[in-house]
Amino acid sequence: MTMSREYKVGLFIGVTAFIVVIALLYLAISKGVLERIHTFTLSSKSGEGFTEGMPVVFSGFNIGNVHSLELNDEGVVLIHIKVPDRHVKWVRADSSFVLYRPLIGSARIMVNTENLKSPPLNPRKIPEVLTVNDINDAIAKIEPVLDRVTEIAENIQIITRNLSDPKGDFHRVLGNAEKITSNFASKKSLVEMAVSDQESVKALNESLKKLKDITANIDRVLVKIDKMADKTDREIYGENGALPQINMILKDLVIKLKKLDKTVDNINSISTDASEGMKDLHILRSDIDDAVKSIDHVAKKLDGLIGTKKNPVFRVP
Amino acid sequence: MFVLLICACGSLMPVPEWKEKGARYLDEYTNSFLKGKELSSEPHFVKATREIAAGNDLRLLAVAYLTKYALHTASLERFDDSEFRKIERLEPDEADMAYCRFLQGNFAAVNASALPARYSGLLKAAQRKDVALAAHEISAIIDPVSRLVAAGVWVKHLPYDENILQTAIDTASASGWRRPLLAYLEKLHAFYLESGDTDKARAMRNRIELLKMEKDKK
Repeated sequence: MTMSREYKVGLFIGVTAFIVVIALLYLAISKGVLERIHTFTLSSKSGEGFTEGMPVVFSGFNIGNVHSLELNDEGVVLIHIKVPDRHVKWVRADSSFVLYRPLIGSARIMVNTENLKSPPLNPRKIPEVLTVNDINDAIAKIEPVLDRVTEIAENIQIITRNLSDPKGDFHRVLGNAEKITSNFASKKSLVEMAVSDQESVKALNESLKKLKDITANIDRVLVKIDKMADKTDREIYGENGALPQINMILKDLVIKLKKLDKTVDNINSISTDASEGMKDLHILRSDIDDAVKSIDHVAKKLDGLIGTKKNPVFRVP
Repeated sequence: MFVLLICACGSLMPVPEWKEKGARYLDEYTNSFLKGKELSSEPHFVKATREIAAGNDLRLLAVAYLTKYALHTASLERFDDSEFRKIERLEPDEADMAYCRFLQGNFAAVNASALPARYSGLLKAAQRKDVALAAHEISAIIDPVSRLVAAGVWVKHLPYDENILQTAIDTASASGWRRPLLAYLEKLHAFYLESGDTDKARAMRNRIELLKMEKDKK
């Protein structure tokens, strides 16, 4: 059958139109034009940061966008978002919505859904959008640090001012430290540095030097007493004899040592601290006690008669 | 006459220096310990033992340590007998062991014949746990230090009464021995508290505080 020219043209236009429509339809379907769009409403106390067209993101993927913003009668901002049907499954009843404003990049509404098996979000429900503000959080954290840095800078200023001030604490401390080290260098004793009574310290120092001599002398005297048995009575007991003279010397020594004793008592009373230095002073005190007692012992012997030197008896109390 | 001369000559024989010094230092230690001179008393004891050790006489060294333990007992304090035990292992002595056990309150193990006679009455009282007899025996001891030691032994290990404590207090007070005095005053204070005599306890507490205050005055 032969077709007329008009019929062929008509057929061509018809098929072309059909193909175009199919293509357009395919395009429309693939772009989701014919897809059902779900509208949800979110709320926020402030509209700051929200813009129309702002993406709604789930796990990094765009699933919708903000369609419009409005203010209700109570001053609460209502954010209408549109989510196509293929993505609506990510929006559930227990989803949380967060406005995320990163330091770098544009703001977006992030959808977090913990349980994908929960029921879908009811379009009539208006969940609140939380705000996570990178910028504001960073500023809030930095502010106290900046305050602290300012404080430290002020303190450094005070310290450097003090350091450079010749009458300041630092120079005074250095000066005192110098005095202490020069005292050590000049071999002054700890006692001298601690005790303000120079007379007592001088007496103590001299006595310390003499203590050894005193104890050595006592021992020598004791030996001489033993040898006195050889001498005549006149030589020992007479007015100018050895005995009265020794007695006088010893009694004088006792008096001097008793004075020394008192000085050590005073030094002891300055501090009750059981430091090494004080332990040495106590040992010194016991040495002095021993010296005084030994002289007493000798003097008692001389006051009595020379003769019996008893063997000391060791007995438990 | 000849015998007297010999005796006189004998007594002029020189006494070893270490012995004389050791005895003197031990005596000084006893005095300063009882007077409460805590820090300067210990060096005296160290010097005493050093001198005695130089004489290589372990018996006298044991006596020195037992003296120290006895003084602690007299002041109602504990003592560590490790040093004495070292000496006993080398040279055991019945009398020293008896004395040590007596101080430790181990009355059953004490050899009564080896203990100094002045404590034999107290040992009998301890074995019978007779407080009245103990009080009598303690007050009958002539030497004040021994009396305090006896009181200390009893009070540390056996039930005591006010008489024993008062005897110890009187003995320490008469000689000005601060260390045992304060120890027994505290014990008497505790005794009054236990027996419910709060007035006496309060008076005793005030007395102790006053004495301590006087003692600490510079």
